[in-house]
Parts: sequence; structure tokens; C-alpha cells
Amino acid sequence: MWRAEVDGLRLRFHLAGINDQNFLMRDEETGSYWQQITGAAVSGPLAGRRLTLVPSDELTFATWKAEEPQGTVLREVAADTGLYAKKDWDVEMLKAPTVIAYPESGLPPRELMLGLHGFGASRAFPYEALLKDKVIEDHLGSEPILLVTAPDGHSVRAFRRRIPGVASVPDFYRVLAGQPVLPAALMMDSATGSGWNFQGCAITGKSIGACLERVESIKDYWFDWRHFNPATTVYRVKRAR
Amino acid sequence: MKTTHPGRRFLLYLFPCLLASCILLVYPVYVIRPFRAQGARELSWALAVTRYRAPFMLALVAAAFTALVWYWRRERRWLRRAGSAAAALAVAGMAAASRVNIYELMFHPLGPPSFTAAGQSKLDGDEMVIAIQVGQVARAYPIRNISYYHIVNDLVDGVAVAATY
Repeated sequence: MWRAEVDGLRLRFHLAGINDQNFLMRDEETGSYWQQITGAAVSGPLAGRRLTLVPSDELTFATWKAEEPQGTVLREVAADTGLYAKKDWDVEMLKAPTVIAYPESGLPPRELMLGLHGFGASRAFPYEALLKDKVIEDHLGSEPILLVTAPDGHSVRAFRRRIPGVASVPDFYRVLAGQPVLPAALMMDSATGSGWNFQGCAITGKSIGACLERVESIKDYWFDWRHFNPATTVYRVKRAR
Repeated sequence: MKTTHPGRRFLLYLFPCLLASCILLVYPVYVIRPFRAQGARELSWALAVTRYRAPFMLALVAAAFTALVWYWRRERRWLRRAGSAAAALAVAGMAAASRVNIYELMFHPLGPPSFTAAGQSKLDGDEMVIAIQVGQVARAYPIRNISYYHIVNDLVDGVAVAATY
């Protein structure tokens, strides 16, 4: 998601080609070509410029609607409905060929990852591991972070693992569903004993009302994330000995 | 003194026009295509050809039709005239085709987008959406929808946004 303007000039984009299986966009106003995944202009009068990222989430509609009941949803175009992706499109896409692969990583090219970029580092998290473990603590560069899966079992968000007003770096623990003390919370922190929801806000306890700072993330295939983030590290699931 | 047959001279002029216009048309399509790894330099060249080929194509069309007029003044046989005209028109056809980006035809962008209130949407709860918040406005783009257009040019609370997938 990108802010579609540079120096006050609004840009309208068209899909204009493919570069290493990530699409190129061309803006109508200057004819410059932009790489979709990086937001960087690669050719044309605006070559070298970058679009500003608009923070976004990939969520289930139910989770989003519960958080944003006043929000609006893109409407279908009746004439195009038959051309939209089928419900199992993501399963079918796993079969699509790739021309870029990084076999030395041990990861299949189309392994779904959650990619994070910030604090001078890039890091990728296997999506299945995130959904399985629900709450994962890790670091992005030297910054402690937290990745949380929503109760819907599909939506994931990343946060800085720092509570406003608290000096120490807390640990976060999953709250089991139906626990009477923290009925609506997903997780609890070790520093204040507060219960936190999927929006990263404390809904019970000493930190009630405080919110964790979001870390931008993108769900992407491993080959694409790795190709455009060559210095990325990968989260490996810790196995019990 | 031996003079070159008009037909041969015409071909000598037209063949380079045909070849050059074909290369200028096909090279970017060949490089920038799906399921192929592009190198940075290769991509740069292909995009440069796309951006700067128009005047060259015009010059090639002008050269082809100049040669055609010259040839028709010297050739009366209708079959040869028809063949030469077809060749010149082929150059013009490739020049016209070079004005069209096939990807922009295949992946036509969504026109001005329209939206439904969250409470009135008939989307299933488990449908995945890309969600953003800009200013006071929360907006969701269903992935099965946006993945067809790949780009939605939108205005969210006065901010121009390119929703891409």
C-alpha cells in the first residue's frame, strides 16, 4: 500500500510489466515505472524516488469489521465478478512456477512469510509458525518485537515489545481461551500483569489504555521477500531438546 | 552501367525498417514478461526502449512509406505493389502496436472505486482483506477482488493511495 503522490503531485498507476515476478507500475502523470514491492521508481523522470508506505494489515473481514464497524469495503464490479480469484486461489498459487528460488535457505520458494523491515534490519517469519504459536517474541535488529495471531487464526500483527512508561522489556504470554480472569485478552505481560488485545492495547490491568507501537509487516512469498530483501534473516522455530 | 533493380533497392531500404521496428516492439515484451528472471541492466534497457522508441518508430514509418512511394513510381505490376504496400503497412502496424502496453490491456485497472459500509457488506467473515486507516477513514480491500486488478487508485480521507496486491 503506497501513498500515491510525490512532491504534491498525485500519481495514478497502471500495471505495466513484471520484474522478477513482482509487478511494475507506470504512473500516468510522468510515465515513470515503479517496483510494486519496494515503491521505488526504477525508470523515468522520477527514477530514484520512493513512495511512502501506508501501514496496512491483512485480516479476516470479521476481525476487521469488529474493529472498524464504521469502515468501508471495496465493492465488487458486477461485470468482473466472474474473473475474481476463487476461494482456494491461495492453494492454487502454491503450484505456480517460480523462476527465482533460494534453495540454500531450505525454504520452498512459495513458503508464506511475514516480512518485517525496520530498525536497520529485515526479518521473515514463516506464517505457519506464527499461526501455530499465536504469540512469538523475537527481535528485529536489536529491537524486541512481538507477533500476535488473532483469535480468527489467520490475522497476524507485529508490535514493538515495549510498554509505554515501563523501562524493562516485558514478556508476553498467551491467554488461553475462556480464562475467567482475562476473558477478552489475547495475552498478558510480565511487567504489569495487564491483559492485551489483538490491537496491541491493554484492556485490563495497570497498563489499561496503553497501546504497543505497531511494526509494519507484509505477507509475502519467501522468494519474493528474499529477492527484494537480500539481507533478511529468517525466524527458525525453536525445537525442544 | 548496371543499375540495381527497383525491387531490390526497395527491399534494401525496407528490410532494415522492418527489422528495427520489430526489435523495438518485441524486445521490451520479451524482457518484461512473467515467469522470467530479469536482471537489473536488462530491465533498465527494456524500459528505456519503451520510453524512447516513439520517435524512432515514427522515423521508420516515414522511411518505409518514402521507399514505398519511390517504388510505386517505378513498378506497375499490381501484385508487387500490393506486396510492397503490405510490407510498409507492417512497419506502421508495429509502430502502432508499440503504443500499446499489453500488460495494461490484460490487467486493466479498476475505474473509480466504490465502497460499501462494513455493516452492509455481504462478504463472508473469513474472507481476507487488506485493511488501512488513513486519517479518520478505515478501508478494506478484499484480496480476491484486488488481486484481479492488482492496483486500485483510491482517495482515502483526502490522501491519494495506491492499493496494490
